[in-house]
Amino acid sequence: MDSQSAFMKTIRQSLGVSADTERPKKLYPALFTNADTKLILQTIKNRTAEQQDELVELLQANAQALGIKFHVVRSHDQAAAIVVKLVRTKNPEFTHTKHIIHHDHPDLAALQLWKRFNREGITVHTTFSPDRQLHEKTIASFIGITAPDIGVAESATLIQLTKPGCPRSTSLVPSIHIALLKSENLVADLREAYALLRQEAQLDSFVFITGPSKTADIEAQMVHGAHGPREVHLLVLCPQPAEETANEAKNPSDTAGQQTTA
Amino acid sequence: MSASPPSDYRSAAVTGIASPRLQKSLHGLQERFGKGAMEIWATMEDQEMRHRVKEARMNTFAHLDIILTELAENVRARGGQVHFAATAEDAIGYTLAVAKRNKVKRVVKGKSMTSMEINIDPALQGAGIEVVETDLGEYIIQLAGDKPSHIIAPCIHLDRNQIGELFADKLGIDYTNDPPTLTMAARKALREKMLGAEMGLTGCNLACAEIGQISLVSNEGNIRMATTMPPVLVALMGMERVVATLDEHREALQLLTRGAALQKLSTYVSFLGGPAGQDDPDGPREFHLVIIDNGRSKILADPEFREVLACIRCGACLNICPVYGKIGGHAYNSPYCGPIGAVVTPLLDGINKHADLCKGETLCGACKDICPVENDLPRMLSALRHTLAYGSDRWNTSQHSPGEAAVYSLWKLLITHPLLYRISLRLGRLFQRPFVRKGKMISKMAGLARGWTEGRDLPPLAGRTFAEVWKKKYAANRPQPSGSVNQNKEGS
Repeated sequence: MDSQSAFMKTIRQSLGVSADTERPKKLYPALFTNADTKLILQTIKNRTAEQQDELVELLQANAQALGIKFHVVRSHDQAAAIVVKLVRTKNPEFTHTKHIIHHDHPDLAALQLWKRFNREGITVHTTFSPDRQLHEKTIASFIGITAPDIGVAESATLIQLTKPGCPRSTSLVPSIHIALLKSENLVADLREAYALLRQEAQLDSFVFITGPSKTADIEAQMVHGAHGPREVHLLVLCPQPAEETANEAKNPSDTAGQQTTA
Repeated sequence: MSASPPSDYRSAAVTGIASPRLQKSLHGLQERFGKGAMEIWATMEDQEMRHRVKEARMNTFAHLDIILTELAENVRARGGQVHFAATAEDAIGYTLAVAKRNKVKRVVKGKSMTSMEINIDPALQGAGIEVVETDLGEYIIQLAGDKPSHIIAPCIHLDRNQIGELFADKLGIDYTNDPPTLTMAARKALREKMLGAEMGLTGCNLACAEIGQISLVSNEGNIRMATTMPPVLVALMGMERVVATLDEHREALQLLTRGAALQKLSTYVSFLGGPAGQDDPDGPREFHLVIIDNGRSKILADPEFREVLACIRCGACLNICPVYGKIGGHAYNSPYCGPIGAVVTPLLDGINKHADLCKGETLCGACKDICPVENDLPRMLSALRHTLAYGSDRWNTSQHSPGEAAVYSLWKLLITHPLLYRISLRLGRLFQRPFVRKGKMISKMAGLARGWTEGRDLPPLAGRTFAEVWKKKYAANRPQPSGSVNQNKEGS
């Protein structure tokens, strides 16, 4: 603490205030005051289905401009079908065997990936938190699947909070990142996203992901896949429009998807 | 920054100007990013944002002790360790001790200007630790044994052929000049390094005191790798790189990514506020935040220069500066180049030592126009010139050029004494004769004045002054505007 006191003393000296007297923050309440987020949170909560659809469209336009592969899915089954196709058609970059890894998250468990590849040489890992071999499993995997906590339409940003069962390497180390975002977790802009983040501020880590890894360090030519994933697939899980739900109520698998998203 | 040798601004500038390759790269960079940023500022919906961020930055500095204390407390509450380093040596010593205690053999670095400022690499290497830059541009620079020449695009001075040859030589791959192939080769080589390193070493773009997190931006993902895979993380942070609240963070971040690369957000923004949780399979087990003064408190204390601390290191001023755009970054002889470097390098590392930097800039004001936080760099460049002209105890600066000062004293004497002025004009006309080439221009001068004519000609003193012409031809008559221009020309 001594180096800290000396450091602060130097700062106070530079500022021309009494160097030896600490300035407690409670005397400066305005310093740490943010704008009230209540209104913002209300806006997010009260958004109509149409407004939410508009956000999905905005997200799509911005995502595609960044090279994110964008898919709207209506059910977990549809999402699983896309994931399965990607796993089958894409090739591993650093290994010869196909391992994939996904976060320990209810929306991803609902994809039931573990039972979709039982006749193929494809291994599915889940990032269960007591697993001591996750480091190796993540490095061995060529696809990482996560369910971001927040999506931001304005910048096509995915916000991933680090929590038990949702480690940071899953969206980073594998060559391909697949993100499954519930449309209800989509907000308009960073202002809204920060209002939500304020409630998570005790976390020790979170990350904003905006598109695939890229570099332009060689003659300013854009290349995807510098260190992080070279491909990002964004699956947005939208509740079915009301009339479609009525029409397809007979189809049990779609209904299951609908119930989980609602 | 005391380790760097004195500037050789002139010769490096001449080299830069003579390189067609550099000229092409810099032109491309400025056309795209300089103009792009100006376009964004002009069309941004929220025209007050830049002003607001600047005000918040200045308010932060006025309460910096309180805000840094809050940051440190919040990081420590999560089990992170915070060290306050008054000097570069202090920061290096602390980092080295962390590395030794953890028996670190390899350090992977996220792009960090502060690490270059304190020149930490040689200290780590001296302790037998391998140091690997992971930003592609910085990696190329490291392989080439070169120095970065742009804050955001460090190898802008190298072209694809040079990089191809470098990779063939150092990475043992077949020669190619194809950027995607080269990038993939580096991706593979660096992945091995990053997955197996014991320590990550990064800078800090913006810490947020209120939530006790640092944040780091990158497009490549190297900084995420360096902060996620190694078990030990040391983040080096200049003491001014902090905001108080999340609101301030959001706005400063948006200006940073727009100013740097015209992006709404960079690909990754990582927030880190301590060691990884027990259940976390990755993330650092040890988290060290080193908050560095190294001359900043001196800048803080001077109202003339405090503003420069508001800089968010986006590099936009490099992308518009007509001087940087010609001479390139190497001439600035510092990790901080361009207009921001011309102000901050002398302040951190000696105004006399880097005297050429502020004199080389043109004061055209473009850097002020493009600066996301509206820093008045031209004003500060002038203030530095003033410091050099008269010397300054505060900055331990001596009068830079007594010869120049003598010339200006003489000039002051002449222009305040008309008779002396007229006599000296006549003498001047006499003395200039041998230098005037065929009665047109002076292309070579001697002594102090030699520098003037090295790159350009100087018109000679006119045969008669305007006053003399006026007196002779027009004083008795009414002025004749249509004819006077021609007459004047004849007269000169």
